[in-house]
Amino acid sequence: MSAGQLNRHLYRSGPALLGWPRQVVSGWWYQLKMQAQSGFVVMVSLVQPLIFASIAMADQQAGNRTLPLLYYALGAGIMGIWSTVVFGCGGALSWQRHQGMLEPLVMVPAPLVLVLLGITLGTASVGLYSMGATLLWGWLIFGAHIHLVDPFAFVIAAVVMVVALGLLGLVLGATFVLYRNANALSNALEYPVWLVCGLVVPLSLLPGWTHYLAYILAPTWGIEAMRTAALGGNPWVPLLWCAVASVVYLGVGVVLVSNVERLSRAHATLTFQ
Amino acid sequence: MSAASLPRRGRTGNFWRVFFIGGLISYRALFYWITPWQYIPTMLAAPLFQILFFVYLGRATGVGSTTFFVVGNSIQICSMSGIYGMTMALANERQFQTLSPILATPANRIALFLGRGLPVLVSGLQTTAFGFLVSALILNFRPAPRALPELALTVLITTASCTGFGMALGSIGLRARDIWLTANIAYFAMLLLCGVEVPLRQLPGALQVVAHLLPLTHGIAAGRLLATGHHLGAAWPDIWEELLVGLVWATIAFVLFAYFERQGRRTGSFDRL
Repeated sequence: MSAGQLNRHLYRSGPALLGWPRQVVSGWWYQLKMQAQSGFVVMVSLVQPLIFASIAMADQQAGNRTLPLLYYALGAGIMGIWSTVVFGCGGALSWQRHQGMLEPLVMVPAPLVLVLLGITLGTASVGLYSMGATLLWGWLIFGAHIHLVDPFAFVIAAVVMVVALGLLGLVLGATFVLYRNANALSNALEYPVWLVCGLVVPLSLLPGWTHYLAYILAPTWGIEAMRTAALGGNPWVPLLWCAVASVVYLGVGVVLVSNVERLSRAHATLTFQ
Repeated sequence: MSAASLPRRGRTGNFWRVFFIGGLISYRALFYWITPWQYIPTMLAAPLFQILFFVYLGRATGVGSTTFFVVGNSIQICSMSGIYGMTMALANERQFQTLSPILATPANRIALFLGRGLPVLVSGLQTTAFGFLVSALILNFRPAPRALPELALTVLITTASCTGFGMALGSIGLRARDIWLTANIAYFAMLLLCGVEVPLRQLPGALQVVAHLLPLTHGIAAGRLLATGHHLGAAWPDIWEELLVGLVWATIAFVLFAYFERQGRRTGSFDRL
């Protein structure tokens, strides 16, 4: 039996089109369960967003501006998702290498990008805890009025945004692996994205040049879609842009992961630390 | 030969050798973020973006002036070094399995313990100075020139106070299983509780009591008074209280350190992870 036949036999029980989604879903589910056991993830996706939500909502109540509390609760929730993504996905490839798992993952017949996609989508999904937590916190502690104008669009927007952030995580993971101190880069990337994407600060307050950065980042469109679905307005246009951004991230992610795989094989750095 | 007769330079000379040289070596060995690749993103870029983020959040909510947020955050970022740095300087000994050999030496425990705080204190001062400098350059932060030495004194005492608090966390790390989670939560909770981002009067009474027991709260209050043109006399009560809080935390830290050393000797748990 040739290696190709053996691979097909071992790996695929059906056509690739069926095997690939199954592989991503398995990876997603496994990652979801694994992340839920991590104290650091619980801190980043639950405790930290609640603290930032409290700060934003307490400032709203003490200040003289009139943006609703729900505005800040939603923003703080997405801040939590971004933190989960930037820490969890940014170091995904580096972590596999650090653990000595990158070599086996590259060796198996399954495409590496699909393995990573499961990891990054699972990590982004864990971030949804923060969205639920900040909404509940805002309602319980600050008396936020949680009324969603279009609940259906809100749920769709949340799902699309999580997928978009998972795919952005794929890009981050494949980029950060080139940098030995990926965790330091993650530390530095939390606040700027929160700020530039207008998660709790309206974009109109920021300098004009930052808007160009905002437009290429999915959280900008995700929060816009969720806010319009919750507070009123047309969520479908920002939702469409969020989906477009996802497709672009996927394309970039596939190219980057392929390059990382090729270079790691060529330079024998799959187990390099 | 007794332990007391070992040092050639006498007890006092050894005390300072362990304090200065031992402290510096442990900082170089145990502080993760010491290389430029880690230090710049983590200790400079992240705090800078934190200042910008909260200044703009303040503008969005209309809760305070730019000075309110610049002073609050520029002083608070010293706690990054105080909390994480001290946690690394103490708890990492256990992580790297070097705690037993160190505690087997006859080195003076006060010198061993406090010496680790000095480089961390200097690092915290650097971060805060950087925060103020960048705020002056890009946010037009302009304290009165005569207030600068007084502000520097306030920052020095506040950083020392945070280092004392970090020592307490680090001491707990000699025994606790996951001190990083506690350090992370403490760092972010202080943003909310210490009047950094939210005026203290906005917090519930019980949280205000907690705030007064934590470092930063009084130092930031004093810093804001000085930066807005008040004389040193007006800020003295807060500066004294900050110093007192720091001393209390440092004492608690040393008592915990001594307790966990005794307990570790009895149960053989120094290097148990």
